[in-house]
Amino acid sequence: MEAKFSANAKDVMGKRGLKEADIADVVASAESSNRKLSKNGTNLAKKRIGEVTMYAVYDNNGEVQSAYSHRMVLGEPVKTTDEPDISEWTCVHCNEKAIISSANMSYLGVTRTGPALVCPKCGDVWIEEYLATMTIAAAEGLFEKKKA
Amino acid sequence: MGYEELFPPYNMEWHGRATKRFANPFVGEKFERIDVDPIMLSHAAVACGYTIRDFYEKPELGYSCLVYMYQLYDLLPVGHWFYASPWLAELGCKMVQKDTLPPIPDSTPVETLEDVDKLEVPSEEDLRKGTTYPQYQRLYEYVQKNYPHTFVPISYGFDPVGEAAALCGVENFIMWTFTEQDAAHKLLDKFTQTAINGAYCTAKDYGSAMLVVASVLANNDIFSDEAIREFSVKYMRQYIDKSFRGGAGPQIFYHCCGNQETSYKEFHNLIWSPFTVIHFGYKGKDVFPSELLVKEFGNRATCMGTVDTKLLINPNPKAVYDQASKQVIAGRDAPRGFILGAACECPPYTLPANILAMTQAATDHGTYGKW
Repeated sequence: MEAKFSANAKDVMGKRGLKEADIADVVASAESSNRKLSKNGTNLAKKRIGEVTMYAVYDNNGEVQSAYSHRMVLGEPVKTTDEPDISEWTCVHCNEKAIISSANMSYLGVTRTGPALVCPKCGDVWIEEYLATMTIAAAEGLFEKKKA
Repeated sequence: MGYEELFPPYNMEWHGRATKRFANPFVGEKFERIDVDPIMLSHAAVACGYTIRDFYEKPELGYSCLVYMYQLYDLLPVGHWFYASPWLAELGCKMVQKDTLPPIPDSTPVETLEDVDKLEVPSEEDLRKGTTYPQYQRLYEYVQKNYPHTFVPISYGFDPVGEAAALCGVENFIMWTFTEQDAAHKLLDKFTQTAINGAYCTAKDYGSAMLVVASVLANNDIFSDEAIREFSVKYMRQYIDKSFRGGAGPQIFYHCCGNQETSYKEFHNLIWSPFTVIHFGYKGKDVFPSELLVKEFGNRATCMGTVDTKLLINPNPKAVYDQASKQVIAGRDAPRGFILGAACECPPYTLPANILAMTQAATDHGTYGKW
């Protein structure tokens, strides 16, 4: 599947400093490996490229709706409860509903726990767009400030 | 003349050290010692010769007292000013100032089940025209102008169960958790949504908002573990989840006060951010043990251990020192860092010697490289 970019998606990516080639790579990798989340015809794919984890939100035709990134390196899931809330996303690889949970994440040599979507079967970890672009971005900034 | 002119210049050399020390638990550094945060509010005003009422009636004065006293006690490089009943004025409570207490609601706008349905959640716009948020706007403007290096934008969700109970009366609310659970949930939801709207205002105006949310009335002296899960943890989660969606965070302070003897396990299901501090008051009649706090929560948050607030007004600094030392020794190796606190707000008439005993314990047993 080849990624296609609407003007709106290009605008968002431009503001977030993301390159089309990288996001196309994210989509291609997810489609070839079947490692992605899916929700009502929308897919969420991710790939670590250089020092950044990049995400693509795209439909089943490869039309990219949004893209975002974070610098934190995602680690293992952290189990918080026996009765987690279930998200609307499904891990396509495992055909399991992702749970709203926590995961370790590392930045500048520091590992802390943050909110994440987790596949309960394969343990893959994902950060949703609102978290990556606000909470996690602010946390990265705080790490940089406190480490300075 | 502004209140800041009543105080000598803020000591920036001390501030630099305190800032470096305060970063320890969050970025894994080991500068000086374990930090101490006795959750100081009106004690700062009292220690500067003002009154409890002054602290709450004049937030700018209260804040000035606080950041000055932090230097004396060698505490934190950031300030906070709050009281435990935010947003109630906007939900219809008449708030009154008291000589010896923070502002308290003097009325219960929700008397019947119909009143619960009629209660409207104030929008962000409503909050901007209300009492609570404009008070913070004025204070934050003052802090940014006079103490900018101490400024952290904070929004308070506080104790959803306690605030819901304040709206309808504590006895009413507790009864409803058994007999009218839908009404109890609606009231909790309406208070929580109001606090979320407050967090949105703060995040929009200041770019971020540290979130403070608590479980105080919801403790094992009153509620079962199941009830704490259903009526407290659920709304603490909702507050954080929705506030994050509006750009608030990433800092979170979870204050689980009162007796959380067995209910502490329920709080595992909270939402964790990379800058989360979790704090428990008591386990039964005893101060919550730091060993247990670190064992249960140390791998996901910075742990705030406690000294019994009752000790802080007793003329026995040795007792404070002994308990603080025990807590520091038990908590100092917490993987995400440790802060020594008091079980709840340090009382207004806390004896200065007792705060010194806390920092002395942190120095003697929590200086990095000495254990």
